[in-house]
Amino acid sequence: MADYNKPIPIPDPYVNGPYWAGAKEGKFMLPRCTTCNHMHFYPRLICPICGARTIVWEEASGEGYLHTFAVQHRAFGAWGEDTPFVTAFIDLKEGDRVFTVLLGVDPNKPEDIFKKIGSLCKVEFQEASDEVSIPYWRLVG
Amino acid sequence: MPNPSKRAAIVAAAEADQIGYLENPKTDFMLGVEAISNVCKMAGISPKDIEGIANPGNANSYAEYLGIVPKWVDTTAVGGCSYQIHVAHMLAAINAGMFDIGVVVHGEAGYSRRNYPRGAAPQRGGDPLGPDAQFMTPYGIAGAPSNYSHAMTRHMYQYGTTKEDYAKIAVSTREWATLNPRAVMHSKETHPAGGPLTIEDVTNSRLISWPLNLLDVCLVTDHGGAVIIASERVAKSFPTPPVWIAGAGEAIGHATMLEMRDFTKTSAAQSSKLAYSMANMGPEDMEMAMIYDSFTITVAITAEVLGLAKPGEGHTLFDPGKSNPGGSFPINTNGGGLSFNHSGMYGMQLLVESYRQLSGTAEDGVNGLKGKQTDAKSLVVNGTGGSLSATGTLVLVADE
Repeated sequence: MADYNKPIPIPDPYVNGPYWAGAKEGKFMLPRCTTCNHMHFYPRLICPICGARTIVWEEASGEGYLHTFAVQHRAFGAWGEDTPFVTAFIDLKEGDRVFTVLLGVDPNKPEDIFKKIGSLCKVEFQEASDEVSIPYWRLVG
Repeated sequence: MPNPSKRAAIVAAAEADQIGYLENPKTDFMLGVEAISNVCKMAGISPKDIEGIANPGNANSYAEYLGIVPKWVDTTAVGGCSYQIHVAHMLAAINAGMFDIGVVVHGEAGYSRRNYPRGAAPQRGGDPLGPDAQFMTPYGIAGAPSNYSHAMTRHMYQYGTTKEDYAKIAVSTREWATLNPRAVMHSKETHPAGGPLTIEDVTNSRLISWPLNLLDVCLVTDHGGAVIIASERVAKSFPTPPVWIAGAGEAIGHATMLEMRDFTKTSAAQSSKLAYSMANMGPEDMEMAMIYDSFTITVAITAEVLGLAKPGEGHTLFDPGKSNPGGSFPINTNGGGLSFNHSGMYGMQLLVESYRQLSGTAEDGVNGLKGKQTDAKSLVVNGTGGSLSATGTLVLVADE
């Protein structure tokens, strides 16, 4: 963990607290609105789908599908030392979408990753500090 | 309230004294003030005649500096399309009788700010508790190219488009730049990598964020620009010809790309619908287009949502003989953000060229080359701001 050199977010205690607390325990948490029953991401005070303020947090499946990706050949800071790497948007099984650095793919073969759009991905967590673990998604399908 | 269509016109457009890569650094504000001074001279008015001011975020300083007390201000700041939206708002305010003469001003030292004295550069940084800082930047996202590339991949997946398809956009746009001596990429004299391009030049250029190569990406330059907007009542009293604002529309699709539902469509679907409706015209009535080209993919997607091509076929507008000089449907006749000038927020460059084309003042031929003036009497101009986030669309028509 001491060697995690990438940017570590300051966990927002006001809205995203359960997301980061869950990640610390290896759980992928999502907000659900009890009025319309939809889950959403990124987390809000007000449901972006129905506008109600009836949000609860639940552990999600931690599974989703590759929606799109890019191979980053230019980046800043510690990420700049890791180029090329693959970033991706994942369509969550529960609906809505997250962004990640995608694991389990070869950044030098974008044509191969392209063929995997729509394939199953699973979340895992990297300990970044004593306080923060960061979700990363891995292509498994 | 009557339909605002053509109740106001752009009556003059000008740039800062120098644009592009400035040898001696200037500030955003200096570039904007130069542009106001130049546009007022062209329009035959004093800055003191200006009644309304629009700029993304900073109307106070311009008003104070020019020593005027504006009746109307607009500091809408939604990225590069802010300037299209300023024109839309001015049209509405003028139609409501609030004032007769306004200026939209842009000053942006995209290049110069790299060369400021230590500590003098404006600090950039977002909300550390906002969605980008919490859920995007931990994963190495590095500005616009690293975001937009995801949309390009998805467009390729949904429509079977290829990197060569998008490269055509860069090639056609560069061809226009070779006719514009103010374009950074005009020729080998203006830039070592200037002059005509081939598709292979684009696809063989350095990878920035696959599938985006370097030549799919816009420049980072200095620019100042300003346009004068005048009411129908006074528009014909200027020495310069009016270009009528026939339609205007705006929209915001999202802020962060986390919330972009369909990566192959922008909110220009809405902003252009509003603009066409106000103008009582459609995409089939347009004779050319000025489309924000932060990246080649931005143009392909936008052309489709503007109704100029079917979904997935935006790139076909750039086949030889269509968008390029002498072609049937000119697009981005100044050489675009890709090859002319892109300071960060490119909406003003779009407005200046749109005015020049429809007022018959776009000719820039040098060195024996034919200039870039087209025969178009109508055009659609679309700005895109943020991460394919906000859009502003105008339908402009030449004076009869």
